[in-house]
Amino acid sequence: MQQPSTIAPFDGFGLGLRRTHYEDFLESDVPVDFVEVISENYMIDGGRQLRILDQVREKHPVILHGVSMSIGSAGGLDPDHLAKLKRLERRVDPLWVSDHLCWTRTSAHNSHDLLPMPLTEEALTAVCANIDRAQNELGRAMLFENPSSYLTFPEDELSEWQFLSEMAQRTGCYLLLDVNNIYVSARNHGFSQDEYLAGLPLDRVRQIHLAGHDPATDGRPVIIDTHDRAVVDGVWDLYAKATAMLPQPVATMIERDEDIPPLPELLAELDRARGIASEALVPA
Amino acid sequence: MSARQTLADRQAAFLRSVLDEDAPLPEGWGNSQTAGMSVYRGNYRSALVGALENTFERTARYVGEGPFKKVAAHHAIAHPPSGWTIEEAGSGFDATCAQLFANNPEVAELAWLEWAMLQVSNAPETQPFGASEFGPATAEFRDEDWMGLQIEFQPRASSREVRANLSALWIALEEDASADRPDPLLEMAKGCIVSREGELPTFQIVTTGTARAFDAMQSGASYGEAIMLLAGGDPDAEAIQQAAVQAGAMLGEWLNEGLIVGVKA
Repeated sequence: MQQPSTIAPFDGFGLGLRRTHYEDFLESDVPVDFVEVISENYMIDGGRQLRILDQVREKHPVILHGVSMSIGSAGGLDPDHLAKLKRLERRVDPLWVSDHLCWTRTSAHNSHDLLPMPLTEEALTAVCANIDRAQNELGRAMLFENPSSYLTFPEDELSEWQFLSEMAQRTGCYLLLDVNNIYVSARNHGFSQDEYLAGLPLDRVRQIHLAGHDPATDGRPVIIDTHDRAVVDGVWDLYAKATAMLPQPVATMIERDEDIPPLPELLAELDRARGIASEALVPA
Repeated sequence: MSARQTLADRQAAFLRSVLDEDAPLPEGWGNSQTAGMSVYRGNYRSALVGALENTFERTARYVGEGPFKKVAAHHAIAHPPSGWTIEEAGSGFDATCAQLFANNPEVAELAWLEWAMLQVSNAPETQPFGASEFGPATAEFRDEDWMGLQIEFQPRASSREVRANLSALWIALEEDASADRPDPLLEMAKGCIVSREGELPTFQIVTTGTARAFDAMQSGASYGEAIMLLAGGDPDAEAIQQAAVQAGAMLGEWLNEGLIVGVKA
């Protein structure tokens, strides 16, 4: 398969564009370098949402971040989803298009959740074929995000970082590193965060996500990625470690999808990310 | 020993377990997988119920949070979604409400209205075919041209007959669930047409005849057929004449309201 075009590093700090903040973005100059939108929310035929996205696009670069491509589906990609994503991509001309290393559906049903991949050679082959198809259809390389997961499979043959590395090498795709997801999955499955970072092709990383999660409880041993609260110190520490290891600048954003606070609260978190990233650039 | 499972087999089994809490867990799973599966099951249900709460805000306020969550969970289990957009989970929710709130028909009609408003809000952009375009387009029309006239309405506009007092309910349920509730039902049936005004969805209460004529013409009926629909069964000449007058007024209103985007003879 022909390798897709390259994606140049983008050094900036951004937020997810959510309905709660539409007026802020339309009526003021929000100090962000980009916004990220959930692709599927705008893969529609017309109306107010698309008009707002067009207006925000005039002010800020936009990243399209999908949740329903389902690149892990054994049955392949949904042609309707891909066609509508391509239409949106042509309209927005985004910095890049991203989705997740996961599957969401079978031919019969859609879970609307990011379900975990068995980390096997068979799954890797299926994922790479789907990524090849998506990148060919869009005519550009994509980014794929490491998911948070709540179980691993007895049949796993690779670690997640080995899977991601092979995936990037075989398809030419790039990586969206969700630091919170590494933190969550490392605790849920007992792997080393350091080993995870060291095992990734960090030169393929173009973006970092930071988010909050729901910690484990006495009755529930699993940490859940919820995007409904502030980033915790452990995730900030891991972010500092990751930015110090990355060989190129990347785009960093705060993800909040539930209990979304006023914009200043998210901007304060983004300032903290700026501070950490700038320290990482200071020579020791 | 069982045959080797493919990725497709494993994904089908996994999703069956997510959708159905009574489905057996995949072979070889231990406690850690079982604990993880409970998270995926919870995520699935909360995502669908949350999507239904977003789409049917007023219906949820009307019936109350607890009853709404029960109906939403029932709908999610009975109609697991298959499409890539989570909004699709709301398809058929009005029918579920009609079944589960059989003694309160206004609930299903309110749900229908919210679903219809969502559909039209994301419809493709169109330009209204106003009176200034309609006049020249029909200036040379003979009687048979008028009878054969077909109308293209705004994409995804919809209509139905209603008993619910939708205008009053819509206002009362805008924000505060504890606001004074209007009588939920009208004294006699009316029609409701859902359309878009600019980029915002809207609806209007009309006569049942107008709603039926709208529905028929949206399905391809001609203007002449709409007149006969308005005239009722086995009409005499006077009834047809009155229906023609009524249809003319109806057509004028649709033009003024921007419901029409094209005509063909």
